[in-house]
Amino acid sequence: MTNDLPAWSEPFATGNRDHLGRRGPWGAVDRSWAFGDGTGRGLRIAIVDSGVEASHPAVGGRLVTSVAVERMGEDWSVVETDPLDVVGHGTASAGIIHALVPEAELVSIRVLGPDNRGNGGAFAAGLQWAVEASGASVVNLSLSSRSDAWFAPFHELADLAYFRNVLLVCAANNVSVASYPSLFASVVSVAAHDVPDAATWFYNPEPPVEFGAYGLNVDVAWRGGTRMVVTGNSFAAPHIAGYAARIRGAHPGLTPFETKSILAATADNAR
Amino acid sequence: MSEAREAAILQALEAVAARAAAAGRLEPAGGESVLQSVADAAVAVFDAVAASIALHDPAMDRLVIRVAGGPAGAGAVGLAFPSSEGIAGYVFTTGQPLVVSDVSADPRFDRATAETTGYVPRSILAVPILAGDASIGVLEVLDGRGQAGFGLRDLDLASAFGRQAAAVVLAGRVERDVTELLRLTLARLAEDPDADGAALDAAVSAIAVGLDGDDGAGLWALADAVARARLAAPDQVSLVVEILDALARRGARPAARTFRR
Repeated sequence: MTNDLPAWSEPFATGNRDHLGRRGPWGAVDRSWAFGDGTGRGLRIAIVDSGVEASHPAVGGRLVTSVAVERMGEDWSVVETDPLDVVGHGTASAGIIHALVPEAELVSIRVLGPDNRGNGGAFAAGLQWAVEASGASVVNLSLSSRSDAWFAPFHELADLAYFRNVLLVCAANNVSVASYPSLFASVVSVAAHDVPDAATWFYNPEPPVEFGAYGLNVDVAWRGGTRMVVTGNSFAAPHIAGYAARIRGAHPGLTPFETKSILAATADNAR
Repeated sequence: MSEAREAAILQALEAVAARAAAAGRLEPAGGESVLQSVADAAVAVFDAVAASIALHDPAMDRLVIRVAGGPAGAGAVGLAFPSSEGIAGYVFTTGQPLVVSDVSADPRFDRATAETTGYVPRSILAVPILAGDASIGVLEVLDGRGQAGFGLRDLDLASAFGRQAAAVVLAGRVERDVTELLRLTLARLAEDPDADGAALDAAVSAIAVGLDGDDGAGLWALADAVARARLAAPDQVSLVVEILDALARRGARPAARTFRR
């Protein structure tokens, strides 16, 4: 186990952000240009998580598809499922994204549940479906696999997404361990900062975790039509997914790396 | 050896296995008391009302609270809950730690479970207990840090406690598993007293591999493979060592993936 890794949120903590003070050659890029009308109209965003509760007020009726990964013998297959959330976490992500891009369509891919227990195979099958079949241009992943056995399959999927013009936004694991695909170069990797503001994000020029977003004491939607106040990198990622969706909605021709560059250009430490 | 003698030996082995299992339950000592001290230390460090360590029971696929510390912790020991539901279930299945700062906002938060312990927390910090790649349990800290609540750095700090708990669990594992291996082997023998050596060997092999559950660590699968290789070709042990050595070198290589600074 790699216990000597830095805590991924550390670069974004108050008192540690001096090294983020930088300005790229981004003079002409500001958030109003980057976001356009900021509605996410015409976009689709996939949420690979514990499911999304379609009826939750925070989701705004924008959930258009709900699938789950199920075990079929040795394989995994993706099947349509009731729009429910077995934990609440996926609904929290959906609510954060919907608040940022209210007109975007949401797709839920449930990879957690009694039958798959966060299995790497289920996660990979769900991610592959998100990239190939969901129609999403942004995929939010609040989970990642720590298993070295899954390094190569997830690397392939991250490349597949990149080549298919799908942006993967991944929460870094809160525990300082290597996890995939969150630490691959082609994805947008996110940890939490400690500024109580959803509109603040930082770009960290020292990878692997390049973005810090709102993830401390976030008021989120949860299972059963409820809300909770929560902390973790997995609540920071959907904020960046939402802003990435605004950018892709306003500039449909952008590729994932161009979108990432604009996220960096519009980060608080680049302005 | 006479049949009576064989039966007597079998009976003696059964008696030993029964006592080993009973003693393990009566005095889980080593492991359990260190786990308890981890929970107690978490209570002290986080100024918490309670801290608990739940471990995964693969047979029932549930999380069972093994130890708890703090004024409100005692009632929780022995409680079991599904391994894929609720806050602890999410942390266990995803390996992603989580802080919930205000659970009272959610009336459906596992209130039934919380109330059976006599304590309903306001905030929860939950981190996975990891053995290599696999989650083997969850460490939870309830209502720590006073009014300020848990911060981001607390996730890291709690993870260190999780690593301690993992080390304790793994250290006690072989001992517990050997008892179980002996018990299950004897049960198999009792089912089929006429089984020959090859059949028994295959049975022991299957039982040993089954001890791994689905945590992905594969300790017993490895032990079984090594044991079988030694039995099959005693003069080839050095070859087995060489193969393992090569695998170890390969495993130690991916420095590019560890992001050390």
